[in-house]
Amino acid sequence: MKPLPGKAGSPMRRRSLLTLALTLGLALGLCLPGRAQTLLPANNFWFGGTQLAFEHAQSRYGQLAVATDDGGLGRFLAKLGAVLSYQPGQNSIVVTSSDRRVVSFTLGDPHFSVAGVEQMAAFAPFASGGVAYVPFLDLARALYVDPVQDGATVVLQPQLASLEVRPQNRMTLVTLRGASPLRFKRLSGPGDEDLLLAFLGTASTLQAQRDISAAGLKSVTIRVDGTARNPTTVVDFSTASGGVRVLGPSDSPNAITLAFAAAGVALGGTPIPPAGNAALATAPLLAGDQVAGTGPGVTAVTATGAAPPAPTLPPYGDQSANDNPATTSSGAPLESPTPTAYGLAPATIGALDTQSTGDGFNVNLSITGDVTYEWHRLPDNRWYVDFKPATLAVPAQDRPLEDPSVLSLRVKPFIGPNDRLATVRIALTLASPRTIGLIPTSDGLTIAVGGQDDTSDQKVGMGELLPGRLYTGIVPLPPVEAAPEQSMPGPDESWKFGSSVPTNPRLIVIDPGHGGSDTGAEHNGLVEKDLNLDFAKRLRAILLARGWQVKMTRDDDVDVFGPNASAHDELQARCDVANKAGARMFVSVHSNSFTTSELSGTTTYYYKANSYALADAVHARLTAVLPTKDDGIRKDNFYVIHHSTMPAILVETAFLSNPGDAALLKTTAFRQRVAEGIADGIGDYASANPQPSDSSTMDGN
Amino acid sequence: MRLLRALVVVALLAVAVYAGYRLFAPQPPAAGNVVAVYYCKTDGQTLAKWIVSVSPKATDTKSVAFYATAQAVAGPPADTPAVRFPAGTVVRSVALEGPTATVDLGGTIATAQSGSFTEAGEFKALVWTLTSLPGINAVQVKIGGARVPTLPGGHLELDEALTRQSW
Repeated sequence: MKPLPGKAGSPMRRRSLLTLALTLGLALGLCLPGRAQTLLPANNFWFGGTQLAFEHAQSRYGQLAVATDDGGLGRFLAKLGAVLSYQPGQNSIVVTSSDRRVVSFTLGDPHFSVAGVEQMAAFAPFASGGVAYVPFLDLARALYVDPVQDGATVVLQPQLASLEVRPQNRMTLVTLRGASPLRFKRLSGPGDEDLLLAFLGTASTLQAQRDISAAGLKSVTIRVDGTARNPTTVVDFSTASGGVRVLGPSDSPNAITLAFAAAGVALGGTPIPPAGNAALATAPLLAGDQVAGTGPGVTAVTATGAAPPAPTLPPYGDQSANDNPATTSSGAPLESPTPTAYGLAPATIGALDTQSTGDGFNVNLSITGDVTYEWHRLPDNRWYVDFKPATLAVPAQDRPLEDPSVLSLRVKPFIGPNDRLATVRIALTLASPRTIGLIPTSDGLTIAVGGQDDTSDQKVGMGELLPGRLYTGIVPLPPVEAAPEQSMPGPDESWKFGSSVPTNPRLIVIDPGHGGSDTGAEHNGLVEKDLNLDFAKRLRAILLARGWQVKMTRDDDVDVFGPNASAHDELQARCDVANKAGARMFVSVHSNSFTTSELSGTTTYYYKANSYALADAVHARLTAVLPTKDDGIRKDNFYVIHHSTMPAILVETAFLSNPGDAALLKTTAFRQRVAEGIADGIGDYASANPQPSDSSTMDGN
Repeated sequence: MRLLRALVVVALLAVAVYAGYRLFAPQPPAAGNVVAVYYCKTDGQTLAKWIVSVSPKATDTKSVAFYATAQAVAGPPADTPAVRFPAGTVVRSVALEGPTATVDLGGTIATAQSGSFTEAGEFKALVWTLTSLPGINAVQVKIGGARVPTLPGGHLELDEALTRQSW
């Protein structure tokens, strides 16, 4: 039979159909999500002076997909100080870089985010065999490591990630941040006008030339030398003639901070050595033209040319910006876009009147000056707002109200325990959790209590009051402060913690923290367990002399339960000493530490309601006699003060990690004053909370 | 007939262009798909938070909780003074059971000797972060897959679930 022209059976038509099918198949093959292909020749990477091989990798659209459990990926991340989180069953793969940026992938989604900024990967991460495969080169770039072809090898070059310039009052701070720990070599001499630093093993795609024209620094020029496998970035800082420059402390080994200033300005910091890294910068920077005594851990230094003594700066100087990091949609904290009232003269609350509005209630305030506010709604129908910095020009008050909405009003000025700012608190006890609005008026603000109950989840809010305007939520909500109204336990909680009637009302148990196999913190040549024991022995001597009986959980360098015991056994053993002996009080003595050196001070911790009064008495005595910063009384669920049945506190005497506190801790005079302060506080507490047998004690305090 | 073929080709092209756009064009995160992450300031008490967007695909609470936990453990950007988990702390998993999120941490935190100050601040921020998610009001911490009374530093009690009232 003759085939009909134009039908499918014709050879030409068959060729056309075949071509169409092949084309469609190819197109579909390219478009549909591909299956994992064969293993890549993935062992031709070079990173950090050595070959980098991936044993557990696949190809996806010709791109390298590396499994989350791959050893090569683990070494790559470890060298960068990054960590990866992934667990089968989760659909997120999260990598945290050394500078705390979060790189987040989602299975099946080619979009990924770097510090909250959306990006597109070569392919969507996928799970297979209990592990996830991630687009390696996208991850590397997100960690500031750029792939560069060098013959048959792909060199993974750590980059200079950023160069940040922060002009300050009389100095300019420059922070260089790298993908991996930065090592530098100083190429210029100490007397040279320009400062030349070479960063070894680091490449850069940063802008080659930047005009700065700020204090002590004219411009910065960047060039890349060396080979692909061993690049060197040379940064040339063109400085003012005769100017000064030093190395300042940085927050990470991947960052170097430099400070520049004109001749004669005292910068503090560390002289820039011929070669080094961030770890060499131990001395804090100074601000040469600020008033002394306002910074934390102040070391007074007189600047050349009779400038006033200067305070130390916290890292990167501008603490106020960090107090209230406003956010962008991408999640990166930014400085507040509106001026903060911190640092300005306090506002004045000049008049206060109240007014019932039928189903609601108004508190009208006359306020002169700019002020920040922060309100809190407490679970028991209390509501308060703090204005700061602010002073009160009318008398403080605490009075019940004849109003169906608001049962009482309290107004009081105080100094913020943490920020030391003059603060005015207005507190209301409500009949029910009413809605409360803050309404700016021509001369201040009205606190308007509504007739309805508030059903929102918002328990805290803050903002700023400028003349006639109110900025709400200009800063992230909420800096949740442990306000006294929250942290003071109510007497009704005491039932939870059993009887606090001691069987031995003259016995105090002292617990020197750590000991034996557990050294506690170690800083500045001090070992915490040894210090704690010294404090405890001094305290024991004083208490015995005052007629108390004393039992120590340890009086030598030993573990209380036994060497290398579990934390539970060790800590419970300390509580058992006090619980079994029926002691009247339990005092655990510790010394604090932190990862950086700027924190200092004395803190007294309690947890149970029956312990606050003891903490208060001891802390009052300690802060009266110690030169350390008062870090306050805090409530925290620490094991030993939770599981001791009697009033129990934990005293953190000072920070070993702070040079100033460490210097104090090294002196016997300081340690003796700590012991006397605790003993005096114990005496005060005992006097205020007498037991029947107290007539026989000889404590005179 | 030729017109019909042309129309079909145009329609196919339009579909292909749209599919390509959906597949490859960068898209902003979906509105409202954000999570609040808290950190503890270096006074050891005050919390602040920042808002981060989560992948539009992370729609279930468990995925969002895992992401929020990883962010809280990472902490804010490095130049923000904060009380932080030890570098190298890993989020092994986050499980939800009723109102309790069980967070399994590993890596450096399993051996780090942190002081009371650091332990209190880092876990306070973690608890505030997770309990700001709908339906979660307590956080049970595990270390290396096991419940522990405390960290090696021996301060904050972890064998019971932590809530905002723990502070």
